[in-house]
Parts: sequence; C-alpha cells; structure tokens
Amino acid sequence: MARKTRRQKQQDEVSKEAEMDMTPMIDVVFLLIIFFLCIDFKILEAKLPAYLPKDKGSQPEEVEPQEQLRIKIVCENAGTRKARPRSKTAYYLIGHKVTYTVGPKKIETIEELKTELEEIYKDPEREVPDPKTGGKKKMGVVVEPGTDVVYGDVAPCVDAISTTGFKDINFGGGLGSSKTGAYAKQPKK
Amino acid sequence: MANLECIQEDAKMDMTPMIDCVFLLMIFFVLVIDLSQQDLEDLILPEAKFCVPDDSAPNVRPIVNITQGGNIYYKKNSYYEAAKHGENYRGIEVLLREWRKTLPLKLKPLKEKAPISKTNPLVPDDPVLVRADKWTEWHYVGKFMTECSQPYAAFWKLELAMSEEDKELKMIRAAAALAR
Repeated sequence: MARKTRRQKQQDEVSKEAEMDMTPMIDVVFLLIIFFLCIDFKILEAKLPAYLPKDKGSQPEEVEPQEQLRIKIVCENAGTRKARPRSKTAYYLIGHKVTYTVGPKKIETIEELKTELEEIYKDPEREVPDPKTGGKKKMGVVVEPGTDVVYGDVAPCVDAISTTGFKDINFGGGLGSSKTGAYAKQPKK
Repeated sequence: MANLECIQEDAKMDMTPMIDCVFLLMIFFVLVIDLSQQDLEDLILPEAKFCVPDDSAPNVRPIVNITQGGNIYYKKNSYYEAAKHGENYRGIEVLLREWRKTLPLKLKPLKEKAPISKTNPLVPDDPVLVRADKWTEWHYVGKFMTECSQPYAAFWKLELAMSEEDKELKMIRAAAALAR
C-alpha cells in the first residue's frame, strides 16, 4: 500500500474542511415547517357589536317610542342536512336560503342589503330626534330573525348593519325557534 | 499515549443537536398550546365580508361558545345542553351570575349622570363575545341573549364572532378533491 505524500495529506485536510455542514440549515427548515403548520390553527376572527336593551326591567319611566328600522330575516328554504367533513356530529345545510325584509322591501342577498342600508343611512329624512342632545341622530335597527334562521344568517346581517354605520342594533321578533330543533322535542320546565 | 488522547477527544459529547431538539420542542408546544385559545371551542364561524378584525380585545370579555346542538360552553365547561335541559335555562343563569360575581367587570350606572339607586343600578360596561357555529339555530343564541338582558345579569353589550375565511367551504372543497 502506497503511503500518502505530505502534499496529498494537506489536500485531504483542505477538502475535509470545505465540506458544508447541513445541520443548521435542516434545523431552520424544520423550524419554519413547524411554524407554518402551527400558525394555521389560529384563524383570525372578527367581532360585531350588538347591544341589548340596557334598561330592561329596571326602567320605571315611560320612554317615548322612536322610529326604528326593522330588518326581518325570513327563511325561504331550511335546506337539507349533510355531514360536515372530518366531523362525526356536525352538519351543514344544502340549499338553505334566507331573504331580508327592510320595511316593505324584500332583499335577496347580503350585498343588496348592504347597498339598501347605505342608502337609508345617507338619507337625512330617515333621522330621528335625539332626546339627549335635542338634535337628530341615525335611527336604531331591530333585527328580527324568523323560524329556522341560523347564526350564519344573522351575523352577516349584523355585519352589514354595523359597517354601514348604525350604532344602535337590537334584536326582536321572538327567538325564531325551529319546528324541528331541540326546543320542539323537549318538555317544558 | 497519543492514541489515548485521540480516544478522549472522540468521547466528548456534542450537545448541539440536543439543544436544537429542545428548542424545536419548546417552539412547537408554545405554538400549539396557546392559552388565549383555551376559551374557544372548535366551531366554524360565518365568514365576515365587511367587518374589521378583532385586534384590540378588551381586558375583560367573557367568551361563550354555542355549538350546533345548542350546547353552551364557557372555558370548556358545559352550562347548558339543549337535548338534556330543554327549556330549563338554570345553567345559563348560573353562568351569568358567576360572571357578575367573579369577573373584574367595569360597572357603570344605567343613567350615567344620575346617582346610583334601585332604579339606576350599576350595569357591566364590558362586552360578552358570543361565538356560535355557522349552522347553530338562532333561537339558541337568542335565548342566551335574552338571559343576558335579565336584571340579575344586565350584560347589554354583546359581540358576535365571525371568521375571516369560510373554513367549512375549504373543508368541503378538500373533501371533494380527495374523492376525485
């Protein structure tokens, strides 16, 4: 076996030193993978303000009724249930459809509702007297969900109302209870 | 003698990979076990088209979760089960009374300029965030709101939670793609 010369030994050492260490790069890549996997868990949520009657049950004085904008949510088709992917108990509704009634006007989509609300908001004739300041203010809005209406119908409606600029949002029209839900099946207390 | 030194040098333990692994595990658990998400049940919220993100949450804001079946959860504890309790809402009342008793709520008189009295009691000025599934029948949410407005609770500020994207639509599309 031939012995290595001094020059060959030096060359070997140099090439050994020049080898790239991949470990930190792999570490960083794994860190990034874990980071992006985990960040998907947190979906950004939004909030919508809605105020209940502040003084219910504790207001002895009579308050003068004020004109309010009534928005009825009417369920046209309750839809049929289908199991939600990756879930044992949850479902979603196929063909579920609601319409909105603003005063006498029937509105089909949430975008049309937003346009209608914007027109009402801009109209100075739709303002009501403000007893606090003595001036005028935007009228309050009452959302009235009907039977078989779901949270996914009401929340976008409130979304449209609040982003238009209306501050005083209330809920009315009963609870819009379902004919088939747990309410119907359960005996009264 | 020279051989012995070589062996001793080889036997030195390299701590770098272990430290790397420890850091990786730490980061993983910090991200997965996010304490702020503990209040949130796994619900699919309706998609928000117009409203603004919930960036500045107030210090005190109880978050209530309402599932598709009408069950009401607060911090992973169930306070009302529609199938079991029906029209008996005692659980919701217990929860609201507990909030009034234990949470550091900011209280303000009903009529701000008038003195506090029986007819002008202190009411919470902090909001309650309602998170319900997209397909939760409204009457479950409505009933919770009705209980909130009762004089014993008087939570009059409510916020409805929505999502930036429709997670359900994404799931349905992914399931359809898999089926193909």
